[in-house]
Amino acid sequence: MKWSRFLLALTLFGASAGLLDAAAPAGTRRAAGGEKPEPAGLDDVDRVAAKIDEIIALAYEREKVKPVPLCDDATYLRRVSLDVTGRIGVVSDVRNFLADLSPRKRAEAVDRLLDSPGYVNHFSNIWMGLLLPEAQTDLNRRFLMPPMHNWLRKQFTTNVAYDKMVREIISLPMATRAGDDMRLAFYRFQQQATPMTFYLAKQGKPEELAASTARLFLGVRLECAQCHDHPFGKWKREEFWSQASFFAGINGGQGDFFFGPLTETADRREVNIPNTDRVAQARFLDGKTPRWKFKVTARATLADWITAKDNPFFARAMVNRMWAHFFGMGIVEPVDDIVDDNPASHPELLAFLSREFVNHDFDIKFLIRAITRSRTYQLSSVVDPTGGEKGGPAPLAPPGPSDIRLLTRMPVRGMTADQLYESLRIAGGIRDNTTFQQRVFAFGTPRQLFVDRFGEQEKKTEYQTSIPHALTMMNNQLITDATHPDRGQVLGAVVSSSFMTTPRKIDTLFLAALGRMPRADEAERMARYVERGGAASDQKKALADVFWALLNSTEFRFNH
Amino acid sequence: MTAPRLSRRDLMKLAAAGVVGSSLSHWLEPLAEAAAAHPHRRRACILLWMNGGATQMETFDCKPGHKNGGLIKEITTSVPGIKISEFLPRIAKQMHHMAIIRSMATKEGDHTRAAYNLRTGYLPQGSIHYPALGSVVSKELGQPDAALPNFVSIAPATFLSPAAYSSGFLGPEFAPLMIGNVGYGFGAPGAYADALKVQDLLPPKEIGDSQVEARLDMVRDLQAGFSGAHPGLSAASHRSAYERAVRLMRTDARKAFNIDEEKDELRTAYGKNLFGQGCLLARRLVERGVPFVEVTLSNVPGAEVGWDTHDRNFDRVKALCGVLDPAWSTLMTDLRERGLLQTTTVVWAGEFGRTPVINPQRGRDHFPNAWSTVLAGGGIKGGVVYGKTSPGGDSVAENAVNVPNFIATICKAMGLDHTKQNMSNVGRPIRLADAGSKPITEVLA
Repeated sequence: MKWSRFLLALTLFGASAGLLDAAAPAGTRRAAGGEKPEPAGLDDVDRVAAKIDEIIALAYEREKVKPVPLCDDATYLRRVSLDVTGRIGVVSDVRNFLADLSPRKRAEAVDRLLDSPGYVNHFSNIWMGLLLPEAQTDLNRRFLMPPMHNWLRKQFTTNVAYDKMVREIISLPMATRAGDDMRLAFYRFQQQATPMTFYLAKQGKPEELAASTARLFLGVRLECAQCHDHPFGKWKREEFWSQASFFAGINGGQGDFFFGPLTETADRREVNIPNTDRVAQARFLDGKTPRWKFKVTARATLADWITAKDNPFFARAMVNRMWAHFFGMGIVEPVDDIVDDNPASHPELLAFLSREFVNHDFDIKFLIRAITRSRTYQLSSVVDPTGGEKGGPAPLAPPGPSDIRLLTRMPVRGMTADQLYESLRIAGGIRDNTTFQQRVFAFGTPRQLFVDRFGEQEKKTEYQTSIPHALTMMNNQLITDATHPDRGQVLGAVVSSSFMTTPRKIDTLFLAALGRMPRADEAERMARYVERGGAASDQKKALADVFWALLNSTEFRFNH
Repeated sequence: MTAPRLSRRDLMKLAAAGVVGSSLSHWLEPLAEAAAAHPHRRRACILLWMNGGATQMETFDCKPGHKNGGLIKEITTSVPGIKISEFLPRIAKQMHHMAIIRSMATKEGDHTRAAYNLRTGYLPQGSIHYPALGSVVSKELGQPDAALPNFVSIAPATFLSPAAYSSGFLGPEFAPLMIGNVGYGFGAPGAYADALKVQDLLPPKEIGDSQVEARLDMVRDLQAGFSGAHPGLSAASHRSAYERAVRLMRTDARKAFNIDEEKDELRTAYGKNLFGQGCLLARRLVERGVPFVEVTLSNVPGAEVGWDTHDRNFDRVKALCGVLDPAWSTLMTDLRERGLLQTTTVVWAGEFGRTPVINPQRGRDHFPNAWSTVLAGGGIKGGVVYGKTSPGGDSVAENAVNVPNFIATICKAMGLDHTKQNMSNVGRPIRLADAGSKPITEVLA
């Protein structure tokens, strides 16, 4: 115990990387090496990043606004770590990065993060939420998570092209007769890696599958047209049911039991429009009639159309979703409502990025590299005090929606419950060795408590904090342990490091919680507080007070 | 175009006025209490939520003599002509404050979907995240700067349907403070004293008061630094939430949750169990200006599945009513004695009713077609029965009430405009009660 504490202290103080990662659960340690991007790819990333900035700058000019300066290295690392791996960096990573003299260190950091297990964890979690939203709110459907989790991890670990991923989901073969693979024992099913649970969660219902696939993969909301012609969009009721017809062959799950086999009648491609005597035939959203092939399911035909390189909806929807991931709002917002009367903030950018995404064979990592390398993504989030941005927003009067969408600075974004929990874990050195299966089936874990209490919010850029949020951050056992001089792993290592001076200890706590060094005024004020022993006349407790305050700060709670 | 939300405007106003984040320190300073008798007292609602779906046949729509009626006997009430179940003798004496709706006709027979439907007023629909009624009311009637949360959910059993307890597109500002979440809602009932404590309300014991003050001072400095550089709703909301949480931690606001202050006689009258003491807590919160409080009655000894009485319905309902009857009737008298009944609407409902036909396990199954709810107190005409079921109880015979009309009636009783709209997460305005709904004037005062 003592020895490990000493090692930890060394890591916190010095720059030997990776040691603290040993405290992280198995499987989250950084992979050594990993595939390096092609040099030609690098140049191409630079080209795309530059073009992003060019398009964004055109809008600045048109609106007569100016961007704020780029953010500093510490801010960049924290931001990009949260966005790519869903958590802040450990102290040693931050120190290494700040000390790194390479002019390309930001790009190199992104490469490292994309190769790390954190990327796989984070993006698997995000897509779990998108593909199985039912599992978040329905006990019965939680059991559908593990096979999807296993499958998603595979996709992101090997960087499967996005079109291939989606094609597998949409064209996934059903069991041809009852009793086939879906009747596997429950346990076996949990071990599988399959997106089948996407269908099971929706009980094989054509209308739900049609609405979900259109929203997720095409960025259009058809579901309002389920019962009547879309009041705000161009979709007619007929079109909704034409879309549903692609899934008409699926014979629904049996009763309440979600593991019942789904079977499919390959050549059934029409549905009755409810409460009418009309029948809708499967037809693509662009109005074209599919050309059916022998023994190929309607879904496979649909999958080919959806993921085709010239499909105007497909790449655009993903590009917009990814942009929203990195900026807190899409080029079209909400991200899954791309219709003519919901204008894009930068239409040229959406078109350009869609084209590049297609030309790079739907490579998700390429898209991430390009976005995170743009100057736009690297802008500071601090309001220009000189009012360099349009007229300078007066203090306490936030820029309106149109201003924030011009991206003269990086919007401040609330962390998701997952990001918050993971970041607290990293900052405090909290161990969590639970497996995904345990998390799904065991309730009352600290992680589950955070997910339940903090939930998800639609608007990342207008993030609300509630009373229970604040109480949890102030008084919950997890925080209490992390900020206890003996029980807290990181804090404990800091307070017991006799070789560190008080200012060094405070530096380390700032690096652990906020990923940056304290500013001069903060350093001085905190050091004075700790030196005199703080409110409890005990330097260790005073350091605990500092660490508690840092974890409760607005800065910790947000990605900025 | 997205209209700015009230919450945002209020926050900005508060921020501009310097209220928000002005004084995190001095957290021991006493807090002025809003008196219950304030002349401009706002209305409030207490929802008694019957988790699992309560049987109408053994509560408010008995069918003695019919084969579906089972063994139940009816008793007379304080209102001539109205009879209810023998299991509710004390509620019977409150009937002149109550309106029974015997003609609920809803569409969902699955716990998850039905709870969502009744609690939000809308059918679950993929992309729109509808808020629970409590969130809607707390947005309309809550004080944005109140030390107590504007929506408190006592002993909720959220597990089957967490989305039905969510503030949805209204955002976390209007989310409930949950006390004693019983999770599954099934299994052995826990000790109520611990369950009714607010989680994480107090700092750990080893952290002294002066240390807490010092910590909060540091947080305030850090918050000021960050929000100066990043002005906006996010930073303002963070400061406001901490401000309110700290005020809640302070002695006086916290007292609201201290039911030990009540006379033992009264506590016994409510019933010394989770639901009974929960109702008492609800009264204390409403008295202090909380506009929406809900208390869930789920598992009790003898009915470990809450109201989901698929087997041994009569024994289980008798056990449940043994808890419900004293708690609810005492709540009514307690509210009246404190002058709160006129401004407090009390709602009794679950997600659906139970089948008229008794199954071979002597149970009743899920039944949304024809069932009962009760409205009482503020804004409600007492001593009324609205609607009627067929002699066997298997269908509504007259005046069917759907969920939107039920919600609209509650809104109207509280003085709210049920056609008012909030902007949803999909950029579509959503009414407090679904389009086309009408309040039931026959049950309104």
